[in-house]
Order: sequence, then structure tokens, then C-alpha cells
Amino acid sequence: MVVFDLIGLSFGALKERRLRSGLTILMVLIGAALMTSINGLGGGMNNYISEQLGTLGANVLIVTPSASAFGPEAASGLQTKLTPQTVRTIERIHGAKYVIPSFTGGGTLKSGSETKTVSILGMDQSKTVYIAPKVSFESGSFVSSGDSAGIVLGYGIAHPSNLAKPFASIGQAVFVEFSKVENQGGVEKPVTKRKAFQVRGILNELGTQSIDNVAYITLAAANTFFEKSSVYDTIYVITTSPDMNDKVETSITKIYGKNIGVISPKAMASTIQEIMGTFIGFLSAIATVSMFVGAVGIITTLYTSVMERTREIGLLKAIGYTKETVLLMFLTESFTIGLLGGVLGLAFGVIGAYVLIGILPFGVGAMRVTPSFLPTDLAQVFLLACALSVVAGIYPAWRASTLSPITALKKE
Amino acid sequence: MIRMTDQGEKFAIQTLDLKKSYEMGLITVHALRGVNLKIRHGEMISVVGPSGSGKSTLLNMLGALDTPTSGKILIDGFDISRMGERALARFRNRKIGFIFQSYNLIDRSKVTKNVELPAIVADMPKKLRGRRVHELLDLVGLGDKANRRPNALSGGEQQRVAIARALINDPAFILADEPTGNLDSRTGQEIEHLLLRVNKETNATIVIVTHNLELAEGTGRIIHLRDGVIEKERVGLWGHGDEAA
Repeated sequence: MVVFDLIGLSFGALKERRLRSGLTILMVLIGAALMTSINGLGGGMNNYISEQLGTLGANVLIVTPSASAFGPEAASGLQTKLTPQTVRTIERIHGAKYVIPSFTGGGTLKSGSETKTVSILGMDQSKTVYIAPKVSFESGSFVSSGDSAGIVLGYGIAHPSNLAKPFASIGQAVFVEFSKVENQGGVEKPVTKRKAFQVRGILNELGTQSIDNVAYITLAAANTFFEKSSVYDTIYVITTSPDMNDKVETSITKIYGKNIGVISPKAMASTIQEIMGTFIGFLSAIATVSMFVGAVGIITTLYTSVMERTREIGLLKAIGYTKETVLLMFLTESFTIGLLGGVLGLAFGVIGAYVLIGILPFGVGAMRVTPSFLPTDLAQVFLLACALSVVAGIYPAWRASTLSPITALKKE
Repeated sequence: MIRMTDQGEKFAIQTLDLKKSYEMGLITVHALRGVNLKIRHGEMISVVGPSGSGKSTLLNMLGALDTPTSGKILIDGFDISRMGERALARFRNRKIGFIFQSYNLIDRSKVTKNVELPAIVADMPKKLRGRRVHELLDLVGLGDKANRRPNALSGGEQQRVAIARALINDPAFILADEPTGNLDSRTGQEIEHLLLRVNKETNATIVIVTHNLELAEGTGRIIHLRDGVIEKERVGLWGHGDEAA
């Protein structure tokens, strides 16, 4: 008996009960699709986190005024003011190579008739390469420390996705507007500050929102414009090597206690990824269960089919089909269900992941998560579908194979 | 395998004190109580008898579908009552063609597929299979209905398909269980003529179990079975295929 004949016979049998076969394939399909979608989403989230935090150097520590934005520390108002004195203190810590203070502010950027709300980062731009080693220029260059009118635009600002032509180009003047509330003789009034900058450079795309969608000015310009009075928002600490991160972090918290935040982006990424991994693993486990339910569906369908086809099986055995051949025929049927369910499940799983991204909150706004499908994950889902279906087919196939050929001769 | 001879003559089929009993709850049913039967090569015989006489049980034994409780079945001199399951399956496939009362065709498969079914497990090359199927369909007069499905055929036509299927592996024996049982008398006669023709043309040994006396009288020999033993046997009234008897 040739494999081809075997497949032909099995296909014929499945086609005869096409609704039932179809529904069973659907059960396997749903399990496989769920697993594929969830794996794809998990992979996409992981990539997103790596992209967002991975562009920062491995030996970067981020120092913020408060350990966390919420919780008792934030509520107590016990925050450490980050001042030039803080910078000098940290500079003396063993293992700290560069200490780079920065100001952050929000504002509206105007270029011609176009307006864009942006984050603005003020810092010594010559040190950028230590924080984000992959930063490079599409055109122009960094603004030198003394240039208070120079601005560098991230790729996302210069090339907004909703505009056909660039937002601004090198040498062009742009205006930054910044609103604040000012106390004028006991009355608080909103005031808009406005300053002209000249575009000195445009960055290449990095894929990281916190770099692509930011405009960069000098430390001094930001201090004056945003009226920061030399109180920094963030201090970047570059350690001598990533191994020193923990040591430097400990030294900083030893000095400032709990009233200061020290974050290692790499550590943060791995923590988030760990939590995500656990969550995705949990969802994946549920999807796997649904795959097992599909396998039970195969058992039911095939068993019913065997019961309905006793005469046919009896005939096959009477005309010389061996136990093994009959067993193989039914296993081929269950394998075919698994194969079709698996292949279609993968296809629908990939589509489903994109649909889910569209529906769920992580697809919204600037956050762009793209599902990522690892070949090993796809292969795993596919093999599981095939293997489970074959295992599910064993009992019905065995029942069929042990039927007596005399059943074919029994009168109706 | 043990080769047995009876006074130097080798029979196509020979049973020696064949007994078969079944346990049905607390009672033991003795379906066959010692059947001694000799059938020569190329002979066409019929087995008749009332319901419960053991006809079907005998046919199951001769067809290697069931094993006897005691006694021997020698086919071509080989004792098949001692063969294993796999060897029996192979034996049925290569040596025996079955014809059933209810045809036992697979409705979802085309006529051609039904006919070639025994040839598939016999590993007959696909090309040869196709050729054989068409030859046989021509023989049974269904050359033009090769691509139909069985449920689109009349009862007589379905039985012809079953006969073609029985012949595909060129069997030495054809066993028919009430082949005309589901057919009207005219169609039954057509099937009878076809079986006679097959007997003549292929020289296959044919055993027919039947209630249909008209069909029985057309065979060379009639075996009357009653209560699990041969009551009497006689020559068919207008028996054909009795040249060997």
C-alpha cells in the first residue's frame, strides 16, 4: 500500500463527513491560532521593550529626583533636588565615568504653518554618544555648548508620518512655545514664552520613541528657557563598565537614601520582559489547553466515525486489509485533521495577532508594537497540533483495527 | 504449514470434521457440528439450508474470516485454521473474492475506487490496477458507469460492481453470501448468469450460500446443511460447472 493511496482513502472519508471534519479542524485551528497569536504578541512586546530601552548604552544609569512617581516616597514630597552639587557628588563616586545632567520640558514646535507638540531635552550634546551609542545624523551635527540658539530634531519630528514633506530642514528657523502660569501681583495668569531656534541637525531613525520624538537644545538654553534655576530633571551616569552599575547605584542610594531614583535601563528592560514573559506564558498555557480540547474533539469525531463505519471497516478487513493498515488509515485521518488545523491555525494566528494589536491598547498612539513570530515558536505550535492529533487518533484507530471482518457479512 | 492430501488427490477446499461453537451468555451454540466437505478446483457449488443451519458460519470459515473451534480447513492443501491473523489477511486478499448480500460498497467512492480496493493492499501497480478495473467493469457490463457512485446504481448494478471487486486480484476462490438476496428474480438471474460466466472464464472455484433454490439448482452441486451438519448433497437440476464433479 502506497502512502498516496492511504492519503486518498483518508481524505475521502473526511470529505464524506465534511461538516463534522470541518468543525473538528476548527477546534484544532482555534488552539493553534491562539497559541500563535499570543506568542506573536509576546515576541512583539519583547522587541518593543528592547527597542525602547535597548538603544541606551549598557553602562547607563538614570538618576531622577524621586524613587518613584507614586507610593509613599512621592507622597511624602521627600525628593532630592538634582543640582550642580549633586553632579559633583556623583562624579566623585568610584566607577562613575561621566555624569551628564539634563533638563526636560514640553513645548510646541512651529515650523512655517505646521505645529507639533514635542519633548525638549537640554543637555551637553557632545556626551550624547555615551548615553545612546547608536545615535547618528541624517544631516547636520550636534549643537555646541555655547550655541544657545541651536536645535537638533529627532527623526520622528523632522519626518512626521502624517506629512508628505519634512517638518523642518537644516538651517531653518523653528519656534518653540512653552506655556506656564506666572504670578503677577498676586494673580496667577497663563503666559506663553516663545523663542526662535535654528535647526542644526536631524537624527537618523532609531525606533525608540524617547529619542526619535525629542528635540535637543543645550543645557544652558533649556535652563534659561524653561526657567529651571539649575535644578536638573534627570542625571545620566555613565559607569566605567556595565559591571559597575550595581556598585555605583548602591553608592548613590547610600548618599541620598530612598529619596532618589536610580534606574538601569537594561535592568528595567529585563524586569519588564520577565513580567511580560510570565504573563504571556500564562496566556500561552491557556491556549495550549484549548489545543488539548481540540484533541479530545478529534477523539470524539473519529470514534463516532469508526462506529458508523463498522461495515466498511469489516469489508476492508474481509478483503485483506490488515490490522496495521486499518490503524494507519485512521491515524492518517486524524493526522490530516491536525495538519490542516495546524497550518490554518498558524495562518489565522498570524492574522489574529495583527488584529489584536489593532484592538488592544498597546496598538494605540505612538506605541507601535509589531507582532513577532519566531520560527521555533511556529514550528512548536505546528508540531504540537500534528502530534496531539496523532495521539488523539490512536484510540479510535485501534478500535477500528480490532474490528472483526465478520461484521461485513452480518445482515442488515 | 501442513500439507494434507486425501487419497493422493488435492482438493480446492476440504474441511475435516469442522466444528464451531459460540458462547452466548450461559449457553453454548454449536453452529457447526462436524462438517466434512470436499470441493474440487473450478467447481461451483451452493450451500442451502434453513436459517441457523450454520451456512454463514461455514462460509466465514471457508473465507478465512473466522477460525474453527476444532477440525481443519485445507485450502489448496494448506491448513488455514492454523494461520496467523496477518497471514490470513494476506490469504483473503490474494486468494479469495467475497460477494455479499448487501454488496458492501463504499458509497462515497467511485465505482472504480470500489473495484480497485483489494488491489491497493495487494500492492498492484497503479497503472495495472486501472487497466484491470476497466477490463472487469467491461466484463460485468458496467464499462460506461465507471465514474458513478454506488448509490447512483441499481441493486443489480451494485452487485456487479461487487463481483468486479471480488475478481480484481484474480482469486482462486469466490465466496458469495446470498448474492441475489436483495434482488428481484430477474436481476437475480442476471447475477447468476454472470457468476456462471465468471466460473467458466476464470475457472475460479465458487461457493454460494443461498436461500434461492433457483440459483442453487444452477450450480453443479447442492449441499444441504441442517443443524450444523451436512444433511444431504445432490447434483443441481440444471447444474453447470459440474464437469469436475
